[in-house]
Amino acid sequence: MSGWEGFLHGLSVAVQPDVLIYCVFGVVLGTFVGVLPGIGAMATISLLLPITYYLSPEAALVMLAGVYYGSQYGGAVASILLRLPGTPQSAVTTLDGYPLAQQGRAGVALFTSMISSFFGSFIGIFVLILLSGVLASAATAFGAADYAAMMILGLVAASTIGAKHPAKGLAMVVLGLILGCVGTDVNSGVQRFTFGQTELMDGVNLVALAMGLFGVAEVIANIHVAERTGVPPRVALRDLLPSRAELRRIPFPALRGASLGSFFGALPGTGSTISSFLAYAAERRISRHPERFGNGAIEGVAGPEAANNAAAISAFVPTLALGIPGDPIMALMLGALVIHGVQPGPLMLEARPDMFWGLIASFGIGNLLLLILNLPLIGIWVSMLRIPFRWLYPAILIFVCLGVYSVRGSSFDIFAVALIGAIGYALSLARFNPALLLLGFVLGPLIETNLRRALLISRGDAMVFLQRPIAAAFVIATGLLIVMALVQTIRRKSRGAQEAA
Amino acid sequence: MKRDIPDLAGGLLLSVIGVFVLVYASTQYDIGLLRRMGPGFFPALLGGVLAVLGLMIALPAIARKGAPIRIAWKEALAVLSAILVFAMGLERAGLVPVTLASVLIASIAAPDRRIGWRLALALIVTALSVVVFHFGLKMTVPLWPGQ
Repeated sequence: MSGWEGFLHGLSVAVQPDVLIYCVFGVVLGTFVGVLPGIGAMATISLLLPITYYLSPEAALVMLAGVYYGSQYGGAVASILLRLPGTPQSAVTTLDGYPLAQQGRAGVALFTSMISSFFGSFIGIFVLILLSGVLASAATAFGAADYAAMMILGLVAASTIGAKHPAKGLAMVVLGLILGCVGTDVNSGVQRFTFGQTELMDGVNLVALAMGLFGVAEVIANIHVAERTGVPPRVALRDLLPSRAELRRIPFPALRGASLGSFFGALPGTGSTISSFLAYAAERRISRHPERFGNGAIEGVAGPEAANNAAAISAFVPTLALGIPGDPIMALMLGALVIHGVQPGPLMLEARPDMFWGLIASFGIGNLLLLILNLPLIGIWVSMLRIPFRWLYPAILIFVCLGVYSVRGSSFDIFAVALIGAIGYALSLARFNPALLLLGFVLGPLIETNLRRALLISRGDAMVFLQRPIAAAFVIATGLLIVMALVQTIRRKSRGAQEAA
Repeated sequence: MKRDIPDLAGGLLLSVIGVFVLVYASTQYDIGLLRRMGPGFFPALLGGVLAVLGLMIALPAIARKGAPIRIAWKEALAVLSAILVFAMGLERAGLVPVTLASVLIASIAAPDRRIGWRLALALIVTALSVVVFHFGLKMTVPLWPGQ
């Protein structure tokens, strides 16, 4: 099926009422949690995981994806109005969005962010269609060794690129991999690390893990922080309209941001947060008036917002085409698919075209909905910022408990959430990234299976990872990343020593 | 000078976990051969890697100054005990009383400590969860004690 035909077929799936309604629900909920500081897409998707048991896999995926890219739209609202990023991806939008708001141009900044987000998403969808077809057909040549090497590259990239403490990131990934070992070993049937608990035979519950790490831990950390929000200014509909001169400053930054975003989004390990920062840096560098940046430059809103939305869409490339999530949110999506017995990967395009193209078409519909809903409703979203967090978090906690209980009717899982939540909070206090733990947890069983298979085929010859060209490329890239991380750490240490002396 | 406690303690703890996993996996489970790995191979390997990474985090932190951390004790205690109460009470006391109790406990940590809004919130959340989970998703859980 060619790209265009596939997209049309996908549209016929995505406009079915029982899929469309979850698309609408997803993007509206996504915008809502994006707007609110204190709860993000990660926590919301974890919270929705149990509900997906009641849905078709298509509807479930469309809804969860809608939450993700919807939150990218919403995230900009608090960034611009309160200088408080609603999501980490929109942190860079505060730099120029907030000054614009202080100059009374909040409406224009919001309009710029919405329209650039929309633009970025469409470039992202285009790249997704283009790349996943190519990648999926190339991936049929992948063997077990190639898969294992690629997943390890993904994990190392996610924990080292742009990280201040690569060792801490890697440690989280490895801890996640170990947690992924808990339960019945598929190859031998041996119970690993269950310590006699029958509840652990199926492994650590993904829903409990995600809810504990993101729902509970984020609530604890945010009860105090999120209460200190200021009062957002009122934004009327006509404030949104930019002047002609301002309008002319949107398209090119948005195009550059979208290209950067779709490239880095598709790479494992670099997601939408990094692309938004890169887009901002790029805009400032090529601008003829770099002094405007930080004082309310439209370009400083348009570029990053286009970049983070494009990256949010193109992040689906490795997830759908290879079955390998490049970032923790994609890991949750993959987890949701596995709950439904769907294994994403190169065969998915052939085996489940409805799901693949339906999801892509839903991106188009969802983004269109976000644009036409959010511009007129902007006043409502802004007033959402007045809801105090104390009204929300007890409800979030109850839904976490009931949600995790509903999966298999076991109170054990609620206790597990409390324990994991405490651990997750401790981790975030010590500045360990729990999202990387989840990434390792989801990829762990896949890596182990492929590693075992690769070495079984090669009769125990570890050189197989260097003899196959694809695997060798991934192994070399992984090695380079580790060396770079080491060099960076040592250099920082010697600089620190000089400063101390 | 304040030490970088999180990295020091966190790294050491991770190392201990790593060593435990390494020892436990290699004594309790079959390691196998490289060509036919047993169930212990992968965890033992990971345990070893984690032990090394933990030391790499902890050792440089010995001589380093750390940023102060502020632990939200009250918030953590309120949130975690709300969840524990919920876990213990759900099947015995039923959904309605346990939700009321958990919301009241969780909201202790909020900056506004008055009882009025907390009671109102408890009633709203209870009504919502009964509607969504009992009537909507048809979850089989008692609503009241002794059902």
